[in-house]
Amino acid sequence: MQQDHLTCMENSEQRQNSLAARLRAANPAAAAELVDIYYQQLYTFFRRLGHSCQASEDLTQECFIAAWQRIGQLRSGSMLNSWIYGIAGNVSKVYWRSHKADKAVSLDEIDVPDGGAPEGEKSGHSEQLGRLKNAVEMLPMKLKQAVVLHYMQHLTIIEAAEAAGIRCGTFKSRLNRALKILKKQFSKDGEML
Amino acid sequence: MSEEKLEKMLNELVEATSEPAPSYLSEEIKRQIPRDLSQHRVGLGNISIIINLRVSKLAAAAAIVITLILFANFFWGRGQESGGILRSGKLLVEYLGGPDRSNVLAAKSRYEYLAQTGKAVVYYGDIVDPRDTSAVLIQWKLPDGRYRVVFGDLREETVSAEDIILLQARMLRKNAK
Repeated sequence: MQQDHLTCMENSEQRQNSLAARLRAANPAAAAELVDIYYQQLYTFFRRLGHSCQASEDLTQECFIAAWQRIGQLRSGSMLNSWIYGIAGNVSKVYWRSHKADKAVSLDEIDVPDGGAPEGEKSGHSEQLGRLKNAVEMLPMKLKQAVVLHYMQHLTIIEAAEAAGIRCGTFKSRLNRALKILKKQFSKDGEML
Repeated sequence: MSEEKLEKMLNELVEATSEPAPSYLSEEIKRQIPRDLSQHRVGLGNISIIINLRVSKLAAAAAIVITLILFANFFWGRGQESGGILRSGKLLVEYLGGPDRSNVLAAKSRYEYLAQTGKAVVYYGDIVDPRDTSAVLIQWKLPDGRYRVVFGDLREETVSAEDIILLQARMLRKNAK
């Protein structure tokens, strides 16, 4: 089982290296492959950062346009995630700066499924998730970005730190601060989990 | 709440907040792939610098003026040693704060620079009368045993060891009065 997992990881790494090499060679088919792999992830990333549906679509496009212009900065396949999310983070930052008046769209617009728990537990759990969503939304942008990158987009600490343009230690400290705030938010509401 | 539980809930939130992108989006992006990607592969095409700095208008104006002075000194060859920045700094301080203390402040920045470069420099700006143009503001010893002196009017002279004693004695007499 573990062997399978390792083989799968090696294959994925090989695929990423090959894709990065083809991108560096300015291969248009590789560019299309990059879109197939990342457009959904990036769209969700922007939505989780609080952008509206329309803005997320525009930003996803902008992100890829910026990516074409920065193909030369891509050094290896292992950097693919941090490279594309780094660009996405900058695109989002620029958007917030130029649209300061726009309020972050609540994640409440995205439905939270109840799952398969019994009715009483369902409503309690769903309520907790709802409150967690609100607490994540209330986080300062840098902390929210750290939580989204690591916990929701599943980037490793190293990848997420590179994407955020900071050192691993700083990124871990941001994550810790975010978790502390989230915990505090829950305890403030008198919730015992 | 335990950290583990919080992390577990964040993972559950992943599923809850997954939202499908519109189906046309991928094709729309693919249509925008440049025909010639090779022009970007060197990686030197564009550099984006994002700076978000909030400073007062006065501080921003001072920073711009100082930068211009430094550039002017650098490109027109008026080095720190020859007092070019000193004089320019004096003009700036006069503009911002008034003429009396400007020479003393300019000499102080000169003193700080010389001290940083390792010279055994002495600063008298705190004890002399800022209006006294012949008072010694800073002095440092030269390799040949003589002293380089900056006076209250920012005039610079090289004097002998005997002269420096006379100048200091004069300053002490003035201070005693």
